[in-house]
Amino acid sequence: MKKKILSLAFATATVLGVQAYAHHSFASTYLEAERMTIEGDVVQFLFRNPHSFLHVEAKDSTGKVVRYSVEWGGAAQLGGQGVQNDTIKPGDHVIVLGAPGRNLAADHRMRMVSVSRPADKKTWGQPFN
Amino acid sequence: MIRKHISLGLVALLAAMPAMAEIDLSGSWASANHEDSLERGGGPNPDDWAGLPFNESGRAKALSFSQSVISMPERICWFQTQWHIAAGPFSLRMWAVPDPITGKVQAWMIGAWETRAPMIIYMDRRPHPGPNAPHDQTGFTTGVWNGDELIATTTHIKTGYIRRNGAASSDKATITTHFNRHGNILTATLIMEDPVYLTEPYILTRSYNLSTNPVSIGGPPCIQGDEGVESGMVPHYLPGQNPMTEEMTALYGIPVEASMGGAETMYPEFRDKIKDKFKLPAKCKINCGN
Repeated sequence: MKKKILSLAFATATVLGVQAYAHHSFASTYLEAERMTIEGDVVQFLFRNPHSFLHVEAKDSTGKVVRYSVEWGGAAQLGGQGVQNDTIKPGDHVIVLGAPGRNLAADHRMRMVSVSRPADKKTWGQPFN
Repeated sequence: MIRKHISLGLVALLAAMPAMAEIDLSGSWASANHEDSLERGGGPNPDDWAGLPFNESGRAKALSFSQSVISMPERICWFQTQWHIAAGPFSLRMWAVPDPITGKVQAWMIGAWETRAPMIIYMDRRPHPGPNAPHDQTGFTTGVWNGDELIATTTHIKTGYIRRNGAASSDKATITTHFNRHGNILTATLIMEDPVYLTEPYILTRSYNLSTNPVSIGGPPCIQGDEGVESGMVPHYLPGQNPMTEEMTALYGIPVEASMGGAETMYPEFRDKIKDKFKLPAKCKINCGN
């Protein structure tokens, strides 16, 4: 019985452990004191944990269209801000303000500050960890 | 005969009770986050390893680290080790697992976080597995009471982080965690010893307030997705090519020898050594404590 109880506890713990994931250090990933803006069309909105990502096709500084990966809050955090998985859809034209990634030219990463959709004049964006 | 029965009864009664010095640690503990707030919040500055007792291997590994490693598809959902209790952003929840026959505590549990596996602290004096037993991020933890202090020893952890900017611990590392409760305040003191990357033990403390708001037993599920790193790519910096080594110097006027860590950077005397090299920045630009 003793073994069963501990096995059950361990199994429960193991299942819970599957929920663990990694977190970035934002200061090490992005130039947090800087800001940049991109304007383009949403390709994909990954509403998920550990962090959501908004993929936007927009022009880079040379005028070439590239796919930006914009890191946003986790699903629970965004849910608390009124953002759901269908709030932003592929094809939406958006303007994103964010902190540029440290390897911007290579990976086109940004950290979300705010995103606005001119079509309905909606804007989202609050600090997240 | 009656006296013998009474004595046996007392022995049985005492055996069922916890030792008098033991203390109840169960509950939801909200992190006070009044210290190391940057490290436990958004994450530390890049290449800031001041106060870490690195050896050359530890420093070299940290300098090769790119944060984008965590965005590799196969590493998005990897666990962090139990050191994340000390350096991660979350609160914790503890509860006891009783023996169903005697009622004695067989294990203490610390619930998982979004970024950490649960910690099971076995209290039944079982031995740790041998050195070649499988390692994982959860590790294997046993505990003993020292008066009203619970001391947990964790071994068999895989490589993890010590600070979330590339400072790593090896699979030879052990973590000793001291849990001390003073009323509604819980203090955890974690000591990392690692013969591969550290020359001395590294110690962090953290305090929690007992809370009536339940701390989650486990975080929400991690879901893999495209974080911008192509499958097959391993982001890294080759030796001598880490572009961020001068950043602490530029931001805070701290000399590079301090940000590169080493045991001497842990001690107050080190401030005297570098005081002539420290240049107070004209203006604090980021993470200025306001």
